[in-house]
Amino acid sequence: MNPERQRLAMRALDVAPLVLFAVVLAGFGALSPSFLLPANLLNVLVQSSATVIVATGMTFVLLTAGVDLSVGAIMFVAAAVSGKLLLAQGWNPWLVVAGIIALGGVCGWLNGLLIARLGLIAFIATLGTQYVGRGFGMWLTETRAMNLPETFTRLASNRLAGVPGPVLVAALVVLAAHLVLQRTPLGRQIYAIGQDAVAARKAGVNVRSTLRGVYVLCGLCAGLGGAVALAQIGSVAPTFGANKEFAAIAAAVLGGTSLFGGRGRVWPGTVFGAVLIQGIENGLNHLNADPYLYPLITSGIIFLAVLLDSGRGQLQRTLGRRRIRPD
Amino acid sequence: MKKTTNRRPTRSRTIIGSTVLLGLALLPAGCGKRETSAPGSDLGAPAAVQTIGVSFETLQTEFWVAALKAFETELARRNIRMLQAVADGDANRQIEQVRNFITRKVDGIIMVPKDARACIPVIKAANAANIPIVMFNRPAAESDARSVAVVADNFTLARDTVAFLVAQARKAGGQHKALHLIGDLGDINAIGRRDGFDAAVSNATDVIEVVARVPTEWNNEKAYAGVVNALQKHPDIRLIFTPSDLHLPAIASALRNAGKWHKRGEPGHVLLAGFDGDATAYQMLVDGYLDATGVQDVFFEVEASIQAVLDARAGKALPATILDRGFVIHAGNLQEKAPRMWGAKK
Repeated sequence: MNPERQRLAMRALDVAPLVLFAVVLAGFGALSPSFLLPANLLNVLVQSSATVIVATGMTFVLLTAGVDLSVGAIMFVAAAVSGKLLLAQGWNPWLVVAGIIALGGVCGWLNGLLIARLGLIAFIATLGTQYVGRGFGMWLTETRAMNLPETFTRLASNRLAGVPGPVLVAALVVLAAHLVLQRTPLGRQIYAIGQDAVAARKAGVNVRSTLRGVYVLCGLCAGLGGAVALAQIGSVAPTFGANKEFAAIAAAVLGGTSLFGGRGRVWPGTVFGAVLIQGIENGLNHLNADPYLYPLITSGIIFLAVLLDSGRGQLQRTLGRRRIRPD
Repeated sequence: MKKTTNRRPTRSRTIIGSTVLLGLALLPAGCGKRETSAPGSDLGAPAAVQTIGVSFETLQTEFWVAALKAFETELARRNIRMLQAVADGDANRQIEQVRNFITRKVDGIIMVPKDARACIPVIKAANAANIPIVMFNRPAAESDARSVAVVADNFTLARDTVAFLVAQARKAGGQHKALHLIGDLGDINAIGRRDGFDAAVSNATDVIEVVARVPTEWNNEKAYAGVVNALQKHPDIRLIFTPSDLHLPAIASALRNAGKWHKRGEPGHVLLAGFDGDATAYQMLVDGYLDATGVQDVFFEVEASIQAVLDARAGKALPATILDRGFVIHAGNLQEKAPRMWGAKK
């Protein structure tokens, strides 16, 4: 393939996830016209807001070639603590939200300590904290559901200028994350660590402190995402946040973030990934699809997106290769 | 110039870190590895049965916790020592734990299997050691391994619960659009409840039209999103059935946001029924928001499981399956049935 064709193919693969996104929306819209109603599209955004927030934090971690398997457990611990504070202590809901985010940050700091300071592999360290978190949350709740008061759940139904609260919060998080990654030295350092941590260290990047910061950020996002989801559901159950780590990783990867680090963007990538996952669920609900088809269709679309991303990566490597012999 | 301190972590630090983390991980969650003994004196125990090993797949729902407590109480009452193990959702770990019971020569084993097939080798091991083994609330897959299953009649109980709801719909009059939540499609109990729902509504097409089926995978976030989506598509849904009371708070939240959270008898009330009989369901029945729930009789299942071990030890013939018929609880029989509803216990 000549270079011009390769560049064209690259451009096509670059926009492929967005095309896939549009095709999925159009497909569901054609099968069920109510799917494309503005109210329903807003509904999809509201429902995906928690995943967007958690996946934003996960994108930071993935960009450093790490992973955080504890985000779902962090959501659960934060939810359990907030349930206790709301029901037993009667705390103000806003104070509880602040507490949830702070607790998420503390959990993220612990992950950062284990990974950046003690040098544990991220997969193992966060798998461990996932177990600890789930166990602690279960102990705290005694496996009983806690139904939260309306003062708390009202936070999710609040609107500002017609925009639902959860969507607004997710948008602010995405904006901040996008600016950090694309416009600040910290963002460049994160990409550099993901590309080659040793080279980044030699170039003067403080790898350890950056990694610590990234895991704290991921914990903060998990806490905030937990608060957003909790305010919508209104109940802390032992399964709260279960498998959220996989949804967050899938959203980031669907949006083009590499699991090997150094490549990916929160906007539009991760956001589209998260909305796509929720959009598929929503579309299947609208179609009243056979329940057995849900995992098949969802995993099929994710597989297709990852395949496109893999093709893009291969082509990128081909384009980056030095040509010894002229065509 | 600021000194860069990015030294490679030493091997010893890594080892210390790993050890600390492993220790922490095994502390609360590691109840899977831990086995504990419930209080129980050997003095009054029947000669044949002094120790029973109880293995739970998980304690992640209120139902399992209630069952575990009921086992502790009932075994202590019968002066039988209880060894307990929780596998934290890991089928392999559970098999190890049950093998450990066999090695310790317990007099009987009661097990909530994580996986209906994976437990078969360990049932055969118990058969070989001549130790009676009972499957609690979930049967093992069909095989030549011998065990007794004490299970809720998910199909009948779900069918009866939904039939009650259908009767309420008939009383209210008019066609009712229905939303059917379905649990984890890999869980035999969820399938029984789904089939029970289908059987009940198949005879009531004159009043019920099922417009939405949402698989929840026993996940409240999925349940919430599913109910919101269904109400978005069909704002005139008038009947909801959930296969587990676990989802009731999520349903309540979705109905509240849609302006459809009304008590029984109030205009706009959405007929709502669940399954399990947990504390939330009890409270919603008392408050007037829930119409009915199918209650699994935990106390019957626990007593029947223990009795099955005792009878097997005594050489009595046992059926392969002992069914818990459960009961449907609703406003009309709340006072009478509440004492057998495990969620109504403080």
